[in-house]
Amino acid sequence: MNGAANTLKGLYIPAVLGLAWLAGSHFSLWNSYIIPPPAEVAAAFWQISSDGSLAKHLLTSVYRVFVGFCAAFLLAFPLAVLLGMFSRLSAYFDITLEALRHIPPLATIPMLILWFGIGELPKLMIVVMATFFPIFFNTLHGVASCDGKLVEVARSFGLTRREIFRRVVLPASLPSVMVGLRLGLGYSWRALVGAELIAASSGIGYMILDAQQLSRPDLVIIGILTIGVMGTLIDLLFFALTQRLIPWKVGESTDYGRG
Amino acid sequence: MLSVDIRCDLPDFSLDLQFQVERDILVLFGPSGCGKTTTLRSIAGLVKPDAGRIILDGKVFFDAAAGIFAPPRERQIGYMFQDFALFPHMNVQKNIWYGVKQHGEAAQEMYEKLLGLLKIGHLGARRVGQLSGGEKQRVALARALMAEPKLLLLDEPLSSLDKATRLELQAELMEMQKLWKIPFVLVTHDPDEAETMGGKVLFLEQGRQVAAKR
Repeated sequence: MNGAANTLKGLYIPAVLGLAWLAGSHFSLWNSYIIPPPAEVAAAFWQISSDGSLAKHLLTSVYRVFVGFCAAFLLAFPLAVLLGMFSRLSAYFDITLEALRHIPPLATIPMLILWFGIGELPKLMIVVMATFFPIFFNTLHGVASCDGKLVEVARSFGLTRREIFRRVVLPASLPSVMVGLRLGLGYSWRALVGAELIAASSGIGYMILDAQQLSRPDLVIIGILTIGVMGTLIDLLFFALTQRLIPWKVGESTDYGRG
Repeated sequence: MLSVDIRCDLPDFSLDLQFQVERDILVLFGPSGCGKTTTLRSIAGLVKPDAGRIILDGKVFFDAAAGIFAPPRERQIGYMFQDFALFPHMNVQKNIWYGVKQHGEAAQEMYEKLLGLLKIGHLGARRVGQLSGGEKQRVALARALMAEPKLLLLDEPLSSLDKATRLELQAELMEMQKLWKIPFVLVTHDPDEAETMGGKVLFLEQGRQVAAKR
């Protein structure tokens, strides 16, 4: 695949939007309070970068996503594998999981604050809730749709259940698992910023809310762009990881998991 | 010698079948849904018949009356499928070595012999996704034989191949059977294939043998 050329193509739209922003501000097509000019945003960016406050907010958010994401994985992955391999169990879980799946994490914030205050715990829980289901359902799908013939081949070669899981089911479900992780990461990042908008004293979401109250649209724009750029970077990282872990799928699946 | 006498109660009919095969090729021939695959799965130990006995070279795999059911791993049986069932995350070499328990000189010799006989020596490092249908089935055959099975089951092994490749592989399968001298039980719904391959052919319909050719 022509990687460099495609990256370049991908940058056309951001470049056009950037130019439109620059031109519109230069010719005063809109009120500079509603859309601050690029130079002003750049100056603000420089300022909060050099005093370390942007890095502090960003690190806080990334840390929350990371911890919450790991916790969600540790919950969702074993449960999905269990239900995927022992399908009789799923009758006990189906209704509960289906009901929980429809609850947006942000809707639980009032209760979380009531129970856990406004410390780290409720924010991590928001991330866990947002991340759990994509990981869970994709892993379940991967395990459950593993080709039964492969399992039979492994059985007739004399593999035990554990070996079958490790050598057949896990590799076969890995593409789905990776899709789940990738979607989960995207969801958790979005949910977290939402949570920080409501109850936090640090993080990118908080930074945006704080800027709103200080009437600083330039900082709001920086916050929004930071979220987008970070999300893209994390996704690219994941994509690279996917290619390393499941090279036999590369080519037929370079786009899957884009959420 | 493989001796099979089984009854399986399937949803629509009851599979009721008796046959014996020496170190030769036995073909189970019949329309889809007639119980051919269930027979193979019973022999492999992947399903448990409701009654009867399965014995290979004096070893009892299944005996409903005596309550014996040997799990698949104790049966030393090779199994080949229509859609190859190769492991997509492994290359050709790893697939072929998959069922080998003892890696040693003897196994290495066997590996080289199989690659030579099946003309797949140049494919070792390839991924499964890069193989043609005929190549895949040769790899699957090599994998099955590498595990030194006492019996090989073939479930429509050539059905998804084009005609030329199918004829080529029919000849190769027969040659491998002569070299390995183990019973092959082959399932097919293709009358020509049954005709060519079968030292012995059982015609099945609705779970029952309706005719035989020796």
